[in-house]
Amino acid sequence: MATEKELTDFLKSVEKRAWKRAVYAVRDDDAALDIVQDAMIRLAEKYADRPAAELPPLFQRILSNATMDWFRRQKVKNQVVRNFSDFEAGGGEDFDILETLEALGGPLQSESASDLVSRAQILQMIDAEVARLPARQREAFLLRYWEELDVAETAASMGCSEGSVKTHCSRAVHALAKALQAKGITT
Amino acid sequence: MNEPTTSHRNIASREALESRFAHCIVSYLNENVQAVPHDVGERLRFARERAVESARSRRVAESAQGVGITASGTAILGFSRSHWWLRVASVVPLVALVGGLVLIQDWQVRTQISVAAEVDEALLGDDLPINAYRDPGFTEFLKAPPSE
Repeated sequence: MATEKELTDFLKSVEKRAWKRAVYAVRDDDAALDIVQDAMIRLAEKYADRPAAELPPLFQRILSNATMDWFRRQKVKNQVVRNFSDFEAGGGEDFDILETLEALGGPLQSESASDLVSRAQILQMIDAEVARLPARQREAFLLRYWEELDVAETAASMGCSEGSVKTHCSRAVHALAKALQAKGITT
Repeated sequence: MNEPTTSHRNIASREALESRFAHCIVSYLNENVQAVPHDVGERLRFARERAVESARSRRVAESAQGVGITASGTAILGFSRSHWWLRVASVVPLVALVGGLVLIQDWQVRTQISVAAEVDEALLGDDLPINAYRDPGFTEFLKAPPSE
């Protein structure tokens, strides 16, 4: 059973990322705060007796469900369908993705000194590109790499197969690489 | 022969590149998320405290449920609504009571039938004809005190 301190530490460690994930999904800061609060309380009320190691995947699943509940409450089913069924990577693969990924694998910066983009702007660009990803790809990418869940946990949290998780993650990475390269962000 | 190995190596290399790029992006996201607006941070802290308080209340309530009070006021440990067998045990006396009443009724009916059968058997097996009991003189004879 997770102690009160473990629960507090866990929530403290995930709350900001959870809020950001909710913002990506609902594009509303206040609604995202409500969703995170709802998810935290659901976790605390129903699963506080679970071991601390089980809390991360449980919380991610609860957060996803709370986000879906928000969409249901808003009765924007069309938006849900559009956001949660968009598996298309978009665009053709007419550039060498391996080369691009290799080039973008290190710290990112602007292509030229004259076209220097500040670090804050790069952060904003990345933020915007992540927000622009199709919802399932973004969900898989963030759970897998940001929340550091393994493929199986990500699949369980998203309610899909492990193969789908790998596909979503791969497409998300390629889409981000392509978008950042198009904006002139390289190593 | 070398094609599958080469292909496998390419896939591994691709996955490694994807992973490296993803972690690079994530490092920027981590940096970005630390700079959330102050009011958002405060509201998140408030939400966290509410959640922890909620968990604490639930634990206190559960521990209170874990102590049952007997009729004499003695506290007993281990009583909990979550124990299904306690619920079953609370229904057993009622089932036993209903079952007992049904058995008693059945026993009474069988006894009455048995007594009636014994009377009938005695009457029919007696030397005296049954019509004798309808004779007023015989009835008077039976009521009369035995004479010397």
